[in-house]
Amino acid sequence: MARTLFAASILIASLSAADDSGAAAHLILKKNCLLCHGAAMQSSGLDLRTREAMLRGGERGSAIKPGDAANSKIYRFAAGIDQPSMPPGKKLNDADLAVLKGWIESGAKFEAIVETSKEDPKAALAKLEDRPITEAERNFWSFRPVRRVDPPSDGKTNPIDAFLAASWKSKGLTGSPRADKRVLIRRAYLDVVGIPPSTAEVESFVADNAPDAFSKAVEKLLASPHYGERWGRHWLDLVRYADSGGYEVDRDRFNVYRFRDWVVNAFNQDLPYNKFVQMQLAGDEYAPGTVDAKIATGYIYLGPEANMSNEQTRMDQLDDILATTGGALLGMTIGCARCHNHKFDPIPQKDYYRMQAVFFPSSNRDLPVVAEDALKKHEADLKAWRARLDPVEAELKALQAPYRKKIREEKIAALPDFYQLALNTAAAQRTEGQRLNALQVEKTLGVSRGEIEWILNPEDAAKQCNLIEQITLIINDKPVVDTAFSTVEKEGSKPEPSYFLHQGSIGNKGSEMKPGVLSVAADKEPDFPTPDPGASSSMRRKTFADWVTSPRNPLSARVMVNRLWQHHFGEGIVRTPSNFGKTGEAPTHPELLDWLASEFVAKDWSMKSMHRLILNSNAYQMASDDVAANRKIDPDNRMLWRQARWRVEGEILRDSVLAVAGSLDLTLGGPGVYPYIDPALFAASSRRTWPGKAEDDASTYRRSIYVFSKRTIPLPMLELFDKPDTNLTCSRRNRSTIATQSLILMNSGFASHQAKVFAARLQREAGADAKAQIERAYEIALSRMPTSKELDLALSFVTNNPTGLVDFCQTIFNLNEFAYIL
Amino acid sequence: MSKRFWSRRELLNRCGGGIGGLALADMLNGASVNPMTPKLPHFAAKAKAVISIFCYGGVSQVDTFDPKPELRRRAGEAMSGKGSVVVSQGHPGGLLPSPWEFKKYGQCGMDVSSLFPHVGGMADDISFIRSMYCTSNDHAPALFQMNTGFILTGHPSMGSWITYGLGSENENLPSFVVFTDWRGGPIGGAPNWGNGFMPAAYQGTPFRSSGDPIVDLRPPEGMTPDRQRKWLDLLGKLNEEHLAKNPEDSEFTARIAAHELAYRMQTHAVKAVGLEQESAATEKLYGLDEPETEYFGRQCLTARRLVERGVRYVQLYSGGGNFTESWDAHFDLELNHGMHSKETDKPIAGLLRDLKGRGLLDSTLVIWHGEFGRMPISQRMNGRDHNPYGFTVWLAGGGIKGGQIVGSTDEFGYKAEENRKSVNDLHATILNQLGLNHEKLIYPYNGRNFRLTDVSGSLIKEIL
Repeated sequence: MARTLFAASILIASLSAADDSGAAAHLILKKNCLLCHGAAMQSSGLDLRTREAMLRGGERGSAIKPGDAANSKIYRFAAGIDQPSMPPGKKLNDADLAVLKGWIESGAKFEAIVETSKEDPKAALAKLEDRPITEAERNFWSFRPVRRVDPPSDGKTNPIDAFLAASWKSKGLTGSPRADKRVLIRRAYLDVVGIPPSTAEVESFVADNAPDAFSKAVEKLLASPHYGERWGRHWLDLVRYADSGGYEVDRDRFNVYRFRDWVVNAFNQDLPYNKFVQMQLAGDEYAPGTVDAKIATGYIYLGPEANMSNEQTRMDQLDDILATTGGALLGMTIGCARCHNHKFDPIPQKDYYRMQAVFFPSSNRDLPVVAEDALKKHEADLKAWRARLDPVEAELKALQAPYRKKIREEKIAALPDFYQLALNTAAAQRTEGQRLNALQVEKTLGVSRGEIEWILNPEDAAKQCNLIEQITLIINDKPVVDTAFSTVEKEGSKPEPSYFLHQGSIGNKGSEMKPGVLSVAADKEPDFPTPDPGASSSMRRKTFADWVTSPRNPLSARVMVNRLWQHHFGEGIVRTPSNFGKTGEAPTHPELLDWLASEFVAKDWSMKSMHRLILNSNAYQMASDDVAANRKIDPDNRMLWRQARWRVEGEILRDSVLAVAGSLDLTLGGPGVYPYIDPALFAASSRRTWPGKAEDDASTYRRSIYVFSKRTIPLPMLELFDKPDTNLTCSRRNRSTIATQSLILMNSGFASHQAKVFAARLQREAGADAKAQIERAYEIALSRMPTSKELDLALSFVTNNPTGLVDFCQTIFNLNEFAYIL
Repeated sequence: MSKRFWSRRELLNRCGGGIGGLALADMLNGASVNPMTPKLPHFAAKAKAVISIFCYGGVSQVDTFDPKPELRRRAGEAMSGKGSVVVSQGHPGGLLPSPWEFKKYGQCGMDVSSLFPHVGGMADDISFIRSMYCTSNDHAPALFQMNTGFILTGHPSMGSWITYGLGSENENLPSFVVFTDWRGGPIGGAPNWGNGFMPAAYQGTPFRSSGDPIVDLRPPEGMTPDRQRKWLDLLGKLNEEHLAKNPEDSEFTARIAAHELAYRMQTHAVKAVGLEQESAATEKLYGLDEPETEYFGRQCLTARRLVERGVRYVQLYSGGGNFTESWDAHFDLELNHGMHSKETDKPIAGLLRDLKGRGLLDSTLVIWHGEFGRMPISQRMNGRDHNPYGFTVWLAGGGIKGGQIVGSTDEFGYKAEENRKSVNDLHATILNQLGLNHEKLIYPYNGRNFRLTDVSGSLIKEIL
């Protein structure tokens, strides 16, 4: 049909007849409407090139009612009377509207229009979709190649300090002195491993006067397995990690914890960042068949899953992948180019759909992660299990059959007359309505086991009971195999085509898309190979990942070193860590950022190298206290004249409470745990499935990264302290201070129970003397001794209240100092 | 003189928060701001608060407020002329007439079915939008759309937007309160009242309508108010010691104030939900004297009490869990809608009457809606499937004209046909009544200025 339309396509030649309202109207349409309702495409199925096509209309019906502008859709939309107003988001100006109206009123005829050209629809479409990148756009700071400038240093100073010192000098700032040793070691522990240091660790650091005392402590921390838990959690925020699928069903993903553990291990083993990214994007194409690949590619589909599966939900899912990949790996808001070219950054909509084509052939599947022979055995077990189950089920079905039939007949008899009539009419004679009704009865009239139980005779009831028991036993016995939440591609065939979607709408398909990358950030478009026939994947993701992790990619290294910096200093050098575009912030220290990025690549993308560099800088070790003179010049500390102070994340607060109380179970990895949640809270979910343990159940005293992350039932302690919504990539957590946070630390069973446990620990370790208890509490919780004033206050409280020690312990959990990295 | 170390004045000064000073601060883009400070609207507001009555599961328009005699005339016939009929599940049947009779109510002569006689009695105060549509026929996305404007999860809910836009008028209560049904919450759970990418300060707080309204509001067993006060005083003093080093750190002071607010909330929130001071006549008006209406009536009455106390946005869910527990009448429509309307009709009418009697209806916008409507054709013989293409919502109070009908669906009640209204339009209108311009209420996130209404939405002028 499209072809005949194009053949009939007529376009205006000129406005030869000034009195021809048709020509004038057509000019207006051509200028404002034909881009989307013309040769290139027919948005909403509407073609405005000819009168007949207008009369035929699109999805919303006929576009014109000749002689009646007020009831013509084209006029109503163009005048903004009805939504959507046209052109999208705008409407026609009054003069043009008047012409359009006059033309419709006078019969909507195109008198003097002559056919002038037959546009090639493919070319017109391609032209419409094209959005070239200019040199000026390529010259934006984040798209320029990383340029290494030597630090302004004598070679002995840590380059970070050299860069910072230069920036202070230019602003008249002075760097802060080194932090107190106790403050520093506590900072390093909370920052690097997320657990406060033990008193022994503090004391040995304080006693060590060697110049490399802190470096040694850093090495110890980076070698700790808890480092991966702490820094892996930052990555999980970026990749919207959760243990369930969200939306209606919020299906538990019992195997996705393997991805979490893989991330933790990758950090611990210092897997180079380029490999780390490659495995997540395309492990199946880099290292096919390996367990690592099966687990790591879980990244792609970690987002929420829709209840229904259709073309629209698939597009939304791909959008989630692109938005996450764009933000987390490239620091670009690619998701903004789904419906139009990016409004601020040079991200053509076409790039969006070319990158969509990269992920288009992939899908999400659970893959077994056991060895080949174990898998074979599992398949055999499954077959044997089926063979046990089937006959019992068949027996039950046969037993129930007569009862089922009886109930069914009764139910049909109770249906409205038109159903009876439909059922009693011979299939061939049924009207369309009768056909539907009869089919509905046939397909949906169910009889439940409960209904059957009402009328079973005693003998059959006993039989049924026995059979059901057998079935239950067999079902409980179903063989299981360990799996990973993984990404696969359809084997052996060419990928299905994907398209440019105009306005992001599946109804407005444009040209077929070839895979591609973000063109503004590529000096040369990578070559996406055509896979061999029968290949197990398209290799598109590998090609894409090669580009992401290429040292020439201007974004990847900058984005990641900025993230590492951000978590060590509270803010990034670019304070919008997933937006390196025009609407993001410019780097406060551009040369330092580039130096770090080039160093990162030079150090083989080793994250631990970068930690080491940063942690050993004077900058990291500065005090975080305000300095009046500096504050006057730079109140936001953008030049980093002091270390930052920031509230720890909910996870670290919870872990700290457990650690200080002596409750924390430091077991690594494994399936998620379920701490207590007040049933009133998970009752407020449509799926009330939170097998929470009691508040004093020690199995829940694991680090918070191991709390089962169910999308519709967040743990309040974490949620209230700004654990991100697990549905979107999160690069920087909000840091709210709200009263319900205080309530949970004041009143929750968790806080009050751990206060008791902490008090018992103090009694155990410090004896019965209140002063000793208080000093011990300060040592454990704050890594320091109380000041004399603090001691006086606490002592008077503890000794004058019968519940003084427990309440004092709860006070400690609520202290600002306890909740902040200083 | 209070023994507390911190005087209220000091707290306010240190927070620098202006009126109400409030205990809340947020680090957003590095700058310390108090997210709950009352803010001026964009223009003079008609309404100060919103009560959203969310009939979760999806209410059938053709059985409540949009009579379609054609269904009876053509019972059992295929629905023709409407293109391919998209169902969310199962096998579409023929046209299914409503089992309920409609009657005219009020001076406006509004048609209301026998499911909502009490609400019908308030018809002259209500504007009915009969031409609503949304864009998903799946519960969670449609719920998210009704609550956040987006079918995708992760966006701030309307209550968050309103709190963000206007701040709070009561420093002792959360500004955005949610009551779920006794059978459970809606599909999608907490994201329905989530803050999305905004700070947690703007999220809805789930309240219970009996006992303690908020989880963790009550101190644990054995912790008396006196004992709690004592340790909070110690906390204040120790925090003050710590603050001496960085006296200008507004996060520290805000956190100190947050504890004091939490302390006060313990009594204020309990008082807000305590119905002891309500007269027997008021309780009767809400149906607290009848078992079927007692639960929802209590929520409606509590909603009024919260609005009186300056809470901005109260959302009440009718229906929870799945299928029969909610309005999701895939089968046995009569049982389902009969039960849910019985539970809510009288309390809702009572709420409207009570608000009006107290002069609060003018400043309180009450909205009634589901996440979508239901099909005019049958499903599983006696039920109706989801229908996003056309359904009815209504608004009352808050400067909305009464007795209006806006738009219409086709002859079957399947698709909104005339004067179609989108969820964005509805949201734009609600914000407008609160003095907020939906195109100007923006939140910058990830390089883009987000709006509740995304990139569209026009006011429903007919009811203003």
